[in-house]
Amino acid sequence: MKTALIAAAIWLPVLAGAAEHHVVIDGMQFAPQVVQARPGDTIVWENRDLFVHNVTAAAARAGSGDLAPGKTWRYVVPAGTSSFDYLCTLHPEMKGRVNIAGPAPRRAH
Amino acid sequence: MNKSAPLLLSSLLALGLLSPAHAAGPNDAQIAAIVVAANTVDIDAGKQAEKKAHDKDVRAFAKRMVADHSSVNQQATALAHKLHLMPEDNDTSKSLTQGGATTRTRLEGLSGKAYDKAYVDNEVTYHQTVLDALDKTLIPNASNAELKALLVKVRPAFVEHLEHAKHIQAELK
Repeated sequence: MKTALIAAAIWLPVLAGAAEHHVVIDGMQFAPQVVQARPGDTIVWENRDLFVHNVTAAAARAGSGDLAPGKTWRYVVPAGTSSFDYLCTLHPEMKGRVNIAGPAPRRAH
Repeated sequence: MNKSAPLLLSSLLALGLLSPAHAAGPNDAQIAAIVVAANTVDIDAGKQAEKKAHDKDVRAFAKRMVADHSSVNQQATALAHKLHLMPEDNDTSKSLTQGGATTRTRLEGLSGKAYDKAYVDNEVTYHQTVLDALDKTLIPNASNAELKALLVKVRPAFVEHLEHAKHIQAELK
């Protein structure tokens, strides 16, 4: 029963059409700089740089807090979120953007 | 000539960038010493600015310089240890250290907005000078692949710091 619940938790987002996007922080840059996502998708930022960074999106009222080298931050795009710019407030020249498309299309029956 | 120019000139001379006769570049042990000296100069300048700066953006920048350049020095020291590379003091590393001390003494006598401006002006000059040294002297002369890779890896930080400093410099005018 427990195994079935875990399996359901893992597969539910996939069945609902949610995707996972990865952004690497390295060399004082977010790569890719622009991510295309939909509500329900997860975006994972991974800090591979030598320095502490953060991901701060004032417009989306979201922030990772300090991300030490090697750390990741997962953000699930809430319903109703508009496209937003973000930056590392510690290194303000580092900027990125998340473009939000409409909700995932319903699966055909 | 602005007040930063003499420091820039001495730094460029120290890094061999204005001396075409100085054909032989630094070896890896000397490069390690130059990297540590250059970062230590900015860490010490940042610590001074954390105490003396008037503007909150200048203080935040100074705090970031202390943190980031300390990270670079930790990486450089760890790599030197791994490679059994004993940093070898040389004219350039000594000149950088001496120049940093001279600048801190000069800045210690300033306060308020005058201090903020002088600190940020010096940060712009410093980061541009180190970037030039990385591109023209340190990276090309590094013979160990891991040392060269570390220099390449930290280069974007100097670019970001330079642009950040320039923005603050523009806001202080």
